[in-house]
Amino acid sequence: MKRFIKWTAGILGVLLVAAFAGLSYMAGSPKDAYGMVRYALPHMHRGTLKVGSDAPDARIVALDGVSRFHIRERTHDRPLVLVFGSFT
Amino acid sequence: MVQIYNDYKEHADFLTVYVREAHPTDEWQMKSNLKEKDDVCYAQPKTLEQRLIIANDFTKRFKFSLPFGIDDMSNAANDAYAAWPERLYIIDESGHIAYRGGMGPFNYNPAEVREWLAARYGAVKHETPQAPAGATPAATKSADSAAAVPVPSAPSTSTPSAGTAPTAVAK
Repeated sequence: MKRFIKWTAGILGVLLVAAFAGLSYMAGSPKDAYGMVRYALPHMHRGTLKVGSDAPDARIVALDGVSRFHIRERTHDRPLVLVFGSFT
Repeated sequence: MVQIYNDYKEHADFLTVYVREAHPTDEWQMKSNLKEKDDVCYAQPKTLEQRLIIANDFTKRFKFSLPFGIDDMSNAANDAYAAWPERLYIIDESGHIAYRGGMGPFNYNPAEVREWLAARYGAVKHETPQAPAGATPAATKSADSAAAVPVPSAPSTSTPSAGTAPTAVAK
């Protein structure tokens, strides 16, 4: 039994190291792999919206920091292209 | 995106929404953002004022011409659209999702937006290669030209989801 546990733990360890090595290669470095796992993956979501879904609304702050508007206020008689992003 | 905006702003409305930072200095900072390179060094904003500062820096630095707004600290827009770190959508006139882009950065594909608009309003040809600078927030490195993607069908006023393009395909 002990032997089985040792082998299982060993294989799992090797798989973990291989996964981290692969992720490091993909991300660019071990530090980037850590950053991806720690900071990116928890915030990345496919979402539930599909083509044909009602477009959800949300309140948006204008660049002046004072005015507010809603996304759906911008949808009228023309398509609205929504571009989400940040600076970094 | 700026080029797409310039090509189709007479036909469609555009709105850029600034969401939480993808690579702030206190989280997963990228080498390309360091001062000696792109010099985009900001910590993750904790207040709306901090988001405003970064968003204004972006729009001024790139002379960004698209209509611009900021997701507030509740991240309502981000949550509703699963937008982080970058994503594209098209909402049609009836208020339905007509195009849903893939999750950035790998499946962020402005060319699919262009194809959707081109299928509806006609293609816009450019003699010279498109300038990549200042494309979108956090998407300045994304190509605005692209791989072949399925072309949306012709739009119809009777079917809200008509004229749709499929979700993004990998570049």
